[in-house]
Amino acid sequence: MESAVAILYFLCVGIMKVTFPHLGSMYIFCKAIAEEAGIPYVLPPPTTDKTREIGEFHTNESVCLPLKIILGNFIEALDAGADTIVMVGSGPPCRLGLYDRTIKIILTDLGYEFRWLTIPGIFTWQAFLQNHDETKELRRELTIANFLKFPRAIMIGWRKMRWCEHLEGLAAKKRAVAAYPLEVERWLQEALAALDKARSLLAISRVGKKSVDALNEIKEHGRKPLKVMMVGEVYTVMEPSINMNIEQRLGHQGVEVERSSYFSSHIRRGSRLDKGLLKERAELMELAVPYLKYDVGAECNFSVAETVLAKKRDYDGVVHVYPFSCMPETTAASVLSTVATELGIPVLSLPLDRKDMGLRIDTQIEAFVDIMHMKRSGHLL
Amino acid sequence: MESPHVNREAVPVYLGIDVGSVTTKMVLLAAGSMEVLDHVYLRTKGDPIRSIRQVMERIESDPRPFQVLAAATTGSGRMLAAKLIGTDLIKNEITTHTLAALTIAPDAQTIIEIGGQDSKIIIVRDRMAIDFNMNTVCAAGTGSFLDQQAGRLGVKVEDMGEMALASESPASISGRCTVFAETDMIHKQQIGVGRNEIVAGLCQSLVRNYLATVARGKQILAPVVFQGGVAANKGIVKEFERQTGHPIEVFPYYGVAGAYGAAIYASKAQGQRPPFQGFELLKREFAVDSFTCRKCEEECTVLRLHRDAKAVSFWNDRCGRYSEGKKQGQEQS
Repeated sequence: MESAVAILYFLCVGIMKVTFPHLGSMYIFCKAIAEEAGIPYVLPPPTTDKTREIGEFHTNESVCLPLKIILGNFIEALDAGADTIVMVGSGPPCRLGLYDRTIKIILTDLGYEFRWLTIPGIFTWQAFLQNHDETKELRRELTIANFLKFPRAIMIGWRKMRWCEHLEGLAAKKRAVAAYPLEVERWLQEALAALDKARSLLAISRVGKKSVDALNEIKEHGRKPLKVMMVGEVYTVMEPSINMNIEQRLGHQGVEVERSSYFSSHIRRGSRLDKGLLKERAELMELAVPYLKYDVGAECNFSVAETVLAKKRDYDGVVHVYPFSCMPETTAASVLSTVATELGIPVLSLPLDRKDMGLRIDTQIEAFVDIMHMKRSGHLL
Repeated sequence: MESPHVNREAVPVYLGIDVGSVTTKMVLLAAGSMEVLDHVYLRTKGDPIRSIRQVMERIESDPRPFQVLAAATTGSGRMLAAKLIGTDLIKNEITTHTLAALTIAPDAQTIIEIGGQDSKIIIVRDRMAIDFNMNTVCAAGTGSFLDQQAGRLGVKVEDMGEMALASESPASISGRCTVFAETDMIHKQQIGVGRNEIVAGLCQSLVRNYLATVARGKQILAPVVFQGGVAANKGIVKEFERQTGHPIEVFPYYGVAGAYGAAIYASKAQGQRPPFQGFELLKREFAVDSFTCRKCEEECTVLRLHRDAKAVSFWNDRCGRYSEGKKQGQEQS
């Protein structure tokens, strides 16, 4: 009986239409997998003010900005015809570890009909069982061809993502020294679009290398850039529409931004496959111990540890971004204020909430840049 | 080298303009002596173009002919002000306040600045700013809140300081949120607490809120300099002294400190400057309007400055299609 319903459902609805949130250039990775495996997908419309407003309208006011924006992405994608949501899970302290579930429940309450799949933040048995459960119905909808195509699809997606992140890292360096930083923004947009279109491993590396060459052509002003580490809550660090393009804003002021969280590093850490990476993380975590003995959870301890690391590497400063009302990062902000005083490294803490804070953010970034310049030169302006 | 345009009798000056959320400030510094020749503090009343024009009128009507060597703008309206007077010297108000405080009190270690919508703390060590904080998502305890409450109590905001000082037993007012502070004040009024006590309580809660949120985690060391419009309120100054345990210094130009710092910044600028166009404001018609660009999904609200009904400048577009279009050899559309 049950299988009959499933078959009927399959005949009526056809194959699922997958969607995923916007997290920096992660959509290129998801899209590549879906395309290569032959699974129909709906790309959520780009995050705009409207997306944020939708998210704000359907959540409690004190909920953090990333949750509101991701919810907005999903609603817009469901309205555009998606019926299966793939979401990245996160660790315990955020909404008590029910971050992804909270979104699921809100969408169900709104009357949307959809299937849900969480990519676990950390691959454990529990996560595996939950995943197994969630994919039960989905697996029935996939054909053998889909399954056979998966390994290649994942490989292509992964390679694309690594290239995207490599290019984004290069852009963060180049912005700070480009004579006209907006040229870098245009270059990045074009490079990501070209990667998105590439359909084979060979094409991907060809596009990537060509983009790097094009970037090297962009004229520089010859001044030495300031260097900062961007730390903080993972969605805020990764998604420009949540962090209000902080990387760009800093870059245009001549600041090279290095960030810790990329989607691939998130996956690599979660998968626990790379032993070297795990060791590196454990060592990093140790750096926070003099200031923070208890593991607060999420990225709190890493925000502190990375600030200490930035000082060790002789960076000019640290920018700490997090959503207003974010518990782990508010804790980190308090600790960081002591770390900054004791180590003598400028730290700019930016709790982000509504989008209309642009001018205030610019004011703070400009003042922060002035402070770093003063520190470097040893005199007032 | 002297430019041929310089009038030999003209007094060479540096100009600083601070366009804040509530007030517009101007300071003229004599080149060389760095003495303040004139300063203005006036209400913006939601029309920065008009208030900047008033500033220019004031400079022009001065019997001394001034030659503006360089001008700089600061404050939340710094971008617009810079477009209007034709300068590329634009500085954030945190840095200009630091410049002002360290020029007057080189040993200062802490700068408190409370303006109309913003409050800031700047930490200075060894004559260099090393850290700052600004109120983020809440404007509780800034000048405009004092303004509102003065209006509601039927007193002048200028008199609030004296009233607070006259109170022996300040009423306890909640300071975390201005809405609740207001509720508290109304309640205290209704049960018969005197106006002086309420005003004194308000000063207490404003300072408490500042220390708990803006100055959170920052080490306040003397000398402490207090700047911005709210420094006029003696009740607040006294509360800061009581709650921090440090003497608070308020210097004569506290209200125009941002503009003062901007003028100092202008005096330090090197290299070629575009010609000063401030006086054009008096001769020509200027207006600002905005439109929504639909070239991409960002849908930026682009601002456009018109001079004599002709668009001359654009800003607030993220991609630079309008604001930087010409600079990068792109066609403007």
